[in-house]
Amino acid sequence: MSNHRRHRFSLVLFAVLAAFTLLAMVGPPPAEAQKKKVLNIAAKEPETLDPHTSILGQTQAIKRFMYRGLTRFAIKDGKVTTAEVQPDLAESWTLSPDGTVWTFKLKKGVQFHKGFGEFTAEDVKFSFDRQINRTPGTRFGVNLGVIKSIEVVDPHTVQIALKAFDPIFLLRMVGYQQGYIVSKKAVEKFGDQYKWNPVGTGPFYFERHSPREKIVLKAFDKYHAGRPQIDEVHWFDVPEDSTKLIGLEKGTFDLLYPEAVTADFAGQVEKMGAVIDRRGPGGQERFYINMTKPPFDDIRVRRAFMHAIDRKAIKETMYPGGLARVAPSCVPPGYFGHIPMTFPEYNPEKAKKLLAEAGHPNGFTIKNYFISKSFFYPKVLTLAQEQLRKVGIIVELQVVEHATFHENIRKNLNPFVLYGGTRITDADPWLSLFFDSKEIPDPATGNKGTNFAHYRAIDDLLAAGRVERDVKKRAAIYAETQKRMERDLVCLPISDVPGQWARNPKRVSTPFDPDYGEFSLHYSYNYPEMLKVLN
Amino acid sequence: MFQYVLRRLLVAVPMLLGAMSIVFFAMRVLPGDPCVAMMGDQATTEALADCTKNLGLNRPLAIQYVDYLWRSVQFDFGSSLRQGYPVSEYIARMFPHTLLLVMASAIVAALVGIPVGIVSALKRRNPLIDYPLRIFALLGLSMPVFWLGILLLIGFSLHLNLFPLIGGGDLDGVIHMIRTGDLFSNPADFLAAVGDVLHHLALPAFALGFTLAATVSRLSRSAMLEVISQDYIRTARAKGRGEWAVVYKHALRNMMVPLLTIIGLFVAIALTGTVLTETVFTRPGLGKMLVDAIGARDYPLAQGAITVFTMIIITVNLVVDMLYVVVDPRVTYK
Repeated sequence: MSNHRRHRFSLVLFAVLAAFTLLAMVGPPPAEAQKKKVLNIAAKEPETLDPHTSILGQTQAIKRFMYRGLTRFAIKDGKVTTAEVQPDLAESWTLSPDGTVWTFKLKKGVQFHKGFGEFTAEDVKFSFDRQINRTPGTRFGVNLGVIKSIEVVDPHTVQIALKAFDPIFLLRMVGYQQGYIVSKKAVEKFGDQYKWNPVGTGPFYFERHSPREKIVLKAFDKYHAGRPQIDEVHWFDVPEDSTKLIGLEKGTFDLLYPEAVTADFAGQVEKMGAVIDRRGPGGQERFYINMTKPPFDDIRVRRAFMHAIDRKAIKETMYPGGLARVAPSCVPPGYFGHIPMTFPEYNPEKAKKLLAEAGHPNGFTIKNYFISKSFFYPKVLTLAQEQLRKVGIIVELQVVEHATFHENIRKNLNPFVLYGGTRITDADPWLSLFFDSKEIPDPATGNKGTNFAHYRAIDDLLAAGRVERDVKKRAAIYAETQKRMERDLVCLPISDVPGQWARNPKRVSTPFDPDYGEFSLHYSYNYPEMLKVLN
Repeated sequence: MFQYVLRRLLVAVPMLLGAMSIVFFAMRVLPGDPCVAMMGDQATTEALADCTKNLGLNRPLAIQYVDYLWRSVQFDFGSSLRQGYPVSEYIARMFPHTLLLVMASAIVAALVGIPVGIVSALKRRNPLIDYPLRIFALLGLSMPVFWLGILLLIGFSLHLNLFPLIGGGDLDGVIHMIRTGDLFSNPADFLAAVGDVLHHLALPAFALGFTLAATVSRLSRSAMLEVISQDYIRTARAKGRGEWAVVYKHALRNMMVPLLTIIGLFVAIALTGTVLTETVFTRPGLGKMLVDAIGARDYPLAQGAITVFTMIIITVNLVVDMLYVVVDPRVTYK
């Protein structure tokens, strides 16, 4: 190669590199989207947009932008309350004198997205039937098990007959999980593809999905309660919390749905002038003590166990400061019927004394204690293990897969069980699930219930609560259940962990107080249409 | 030559089969299963059994395996367990992003790494030049791409605001314009879209390219050292050729054979690097898809992605072997 050619080659190479750098630096012209009110959310990508098929946090959060139910959580005194409902897609309702037939009058003129027509009683029937009939993939049919039949009276009236009176039926109809109404026409049209062709009646409609990148939702002009202020929602797939934080500071994102809110995360959010919207009640982490399994069949041993556990220390280690609250009751606050309970205070000396009285002066050893390797389980249990060791209760841990953990706790292999979760916000389903004797797991009969305490002392109250229609009397019944549990020492709640999102308050406002201003189950914003983009 | 290529392609079949089988079983040996991943802490025994049945995961493993191979032979990689998209369609959408990143970082790595290696070898007796270059190589080797990536994001994206934080730019748009020929009718839009893609590509390509460049510079340094100690280099110098001509005409060509091997290798390294790079820079692509798929135990998607990775590596190695002939006339294949 001659010198001349070589120089020419170098020049071309230089020019290409320079052009690349220039293009890369300059980038595209500012997007015209600036004029639009765009809400940018960083979260993980949902795996489906069919509202009846997923329990993942990010999926439940995005559903609420697109779907609504017959009822909704009531907004009262500037707060979204927990256990009271207001009409949403239903205009009004009546209950038959025997308490088993609900008749819902539906709002007229409510439109489905994308020209799928007016919302009618057929859509209500279809939405519930597909879950009751356990269409593959649907997950919430169990919450509608109380329904006997659904009848379309006319396009705007639907009658739902129940197997028995259900005090929380209106709560089941809230736009959340089983309560969402989908368009019958759309589900029938798209079949398996419905999960990426969602059609609801919510304030935003689905525009497009770029896998592993983002989902775009747009304001629904015909939303029955008025078009939202925000024009577009861009839901970005951002798996890394550190990237989310940089994006919040830079202004790329307005709302973050973090994987885990640690003290460090909260500190950084605060430092950049952003806020954390905390939404109770969230999930509760708690211990059930199997009162039939020696030595825990002796109430003194159960009391010793509770004296040995320093709940505050566990909560502070897991969730320092405001990241969670020490749980005040076996029925979490925010659930209808909740009252604060008192539990034996942290006192290892008292614990030792009680153990000695119960015939275990040197404590005892629990062999083969199974614990899931996932979520909060191993961390909380290791902390408890250390505290129990101090009073002489040695717990030999076997860390297993989550599914194995579930199997084994239902085989009653653990004398006390650590468990967590969120359920419909009423004491009845919660207590029925965890303390009704019908739910005592038993490998001999194949019962795979979740009454891990093997508790039998509140069946009568639960039965009374299920038929009681007077709200005050119901509340009194559930107060009594909690008093009995306090007496019998069957449950020790540790932490109530709220749902938490980070928000840039200079960009987005919510009418509700960041600190527990609204109740939420799996989504943090019950009313995304009330969010406002400020500039 | 043709026979050689054919033979290599035939050998690739059992390799691919082996890789697919390993992935199939490795995914199932991994603790956790897709249903638990999907249901989180609400995974009750009944719900898990129901989900396992719906996904067909309750069938005997051998049957699932045979089914998977049989479908794969027909180029049916199934659908994503989670999102329901056909795997082939999903991969086709992600592939251009990853290919672009690998190519761009390979260019960065070659443009930076090879000259650094060569200069470092030639000036090895000049500590003022050699040492900084070796420190550079060491830095690149010891700095993981996810850490460098975060530093670049904080510096160039957050503080200097020169580059976007996330995404891959409008690559779909660019591809669409090339396909439909819109790039000729609307060159301004096309250039803007290309600019957008490059704008998004710059930081990730630099981060991945920089870490690769370190490896390349180390390897090309030793390749160069080996070559310049050969007799013919001394002969070239003895006959009075200038240093540039000696290096460029005699040494460089001869170090190309080991260098090509390196390039083959670093496509493999770059591909694995995309997994981290795409996650840190939140770029769509096969790497990020693979991470999510493994996390969610989305078997078909992870299997599909790894099959594609294997195919790329087999192809690159084949191409490299064929390039030996071009670079070094002494090499022939029969």
